Amino acid sequence: MINAFRAEWVALLRPRFLLGTLGAVLACAVLGTVLTFLSVGHTDFDGAPVTAAGLSQPNGLIQGAQAVSILVGVVALSVVAAVLAGDHGHGTLRNQLVAQPHRARLLAGKLLALALFVVLVVAVATVASLALSFLLAPLKGVSTAAWTSSAGAAALAAGFLNLCLGSLGYAAVGVLAAIVIRGPAGAVAVAIAYALPVEMLISRIYGPARGWLPVQLMQEISNGGSSYATPYTDALWRGLLYGAAMVLLAVVFFRRRDMTS
Amino acid sequence: MTFGSPAGSAGAHRPAPRGAARPAGRVAGTARTDAAIWTRGLTKSYGSRRAVDHLDLQVPRGALSGFVGPNGAGKSSTLRMLLGLVRPSAGRGYVLGQPVSRPDRYLHRVGAMIEGPTFHPGLSGRRNLEQLATLRGIGGWRRTRRRDRVEAVLAQVGLTERGEDRFSSYSLGMKQRLGIAAALLPDPCLLILDEPTNGLDPAGIREMRTLLGQLAGAGMTVFVSSHLLTEVEQICDHLVMINAGRMLFQGHVTDLLAAEDPRIALVPEHDADARRLTALLHDVGLRVEMDMRPGPRDPGAGHEYAPVVTVHGPEGLAADLNRLAMGAGIALRSLRSHRPNLEETFLRVTGEIDGDLLRSDPLVTIPDASVPPAGAGLDPAHSRGGAT
Repeated sequence: MINAFRAEWVALLRPRFLLGTLGAVLACAVLGTVLTFLSVGHTDFDGAPVTAAGLSQPNGLIQGAQAVSILVGVVALSVVAAVLAGDHGHGTLRNQLVAQPHRARLLAGKLLALALFVVLVVAVATVASLALSFLLAPLKGVSTAAWTSSAGAAALAAGFLNLCLGSLGYAAVGVLAAIVIRGPAGAVAVAIAYALPVEMLISRIYGPARGWLPVQLMQEISNGGSSYATPYTDALWRGLLYGAAMVLLAVVFFRRRDMTS
Repeated sequence: MTFGSPAGSAGAHRPAPRGAARPAGRVAGTARTDAAIWTRGLTKSYGSRRAVDHLDLQVPRGALSGFVGPNGAGKSSTLRMLLGLVRPSAGRGYVLGQPVSRPDRYLHRVGAMIEGPTFHPGLSGRRNLEQLATLRGIGGWRRTRRRDRVEAVLAQVGLTERGEDRFSSYSLGMKQRLGIAAALLPDPCLLILDEPTNGLDPAGIREMRTLLGQLAGAGMTVFVSSHLLTEVEQICDHLVMINAGRMLFQGHVTDLLAAEDPRIALVPEHDADARRLTALLHDVGLRVEMDMRPGPRDPGAGHEYAPVVTVHGPEGLAADLNRLAMGAGIALRSLRSHRPNLEETFLRVTGEIDGDLLRSDPLVTIPDASVPPAGAGLDPAHSRGGAT
């Protein structure tokens, strides 16, 4: 598994792929942070007022990144689906399976590398959002004193952890789509279509479904349980169960399926 | 067929004679550990279609074995099963003495390139190999050792200079070389290659031939599928031929070719003499056939075709045939002897395309001189399974 983990990084560190992924999350982070600060004096997506006082709270520092947690999650989903399904599509998986015939170990190593990659990508987005927040705060009269306090550090850590967990949940959807569909374009398209329009439509039509639909739960986790009526702890447990089930299903598929061209 | 190398055919890379030294009733358990690849009743079905149908393979260790068959014959499916990529629907298989159901027990000693060279297009050839070397655990945590091995295989296939170029910029021939380099990474004792000469120019094919010969000479078992039958005939000492998922032949190439009957083609100067010549030769007890629809006559000769009388017999018979025809007052336009090579044998056995005698149009035959059916000359009971 360790060899698979190390080998996967060779592919993940391809310059174009790395730059593309980082560019996407940086754009998301900048967009979220700028829009969050521009919203001061207005209302957010859910109609709640955005104030300078609110952003001056200890958790105000992470709000820019959390505002675009859906986009960061979608980037994580797309990256994971593209990498795993790309191995099928390019045929490189055949070489890899001859080199490492323990399929579960191979997939475990890959998933571990991809999970770490997603965490690093979220970290980059968070750092970019933090830096921009400090730059934009004076322009909108937002105090940064609470951000640099211990409460601010704790809120930042919790917010980052939630963003990572939520993004990993999105990535789990990408894993399952990639292993089942086996083509990068199809896997990314189906996974995004499910994560965004399908789940959103269902939850719009039937509100209580938000507390049980996997991607809605990941979103709840990313935002620290502040978006919907579902308590954070419930969302976390349900989200973790969904994530584990999706990965388990992917492993079963991966182990049992014939590797044809 | 036996795997024993006949005198005169043994080369540096050929396996040691085996057939004569072994009892005919050798137990299966021993045979499968002796063979690099051993299968019994290996079958793969996709729905109602059988891609591989009860295949009994036996590739001896140390052999350079060719795996031939028309497109869709089941070669790739067989190779995938041997590499643990797909599960057999039925039957048993052993590679290097280990069951195909446990590829983890033998794949560390197997190098393979199947269904073409497949690598990350955005990575250089060198980085692609480094990734596979890391995955195989080559060199452990020591990057230097891993890189040394990568450099060694790059040099072996002549790609050192282009190692830093992106895979997507490689020509097809270079991609093939990189695929073979990847297969050589683990320093395998069994090398399985699927169409390794695809895309190579004549010089590249010759280099490949030399490389495979060297590898087999060093004791490596090489199992190579190819459509280039001339190459297979030149470099392989052992041959497996399949069609529609079924075994047609396995054994020594020389044994296969020896089973093919030599022929002598006679073209009478006057078309009207063809029937008379055929009857004459038949009367003296020769197996003969007449083809009324043979190759084109000389340009501008007025007629489009000239009949050919074919006698099944060795080259030494040619002078006697000439004398016989002359004695009967039949002048011959041409007389040539012919022993089918592997390509012709393959085409005839698989029924793919016409050989000299097997054509799409019906032949004019005379009693006791029928055209042999596809597969004739190969005793299925004798060749199937290729007893050791």
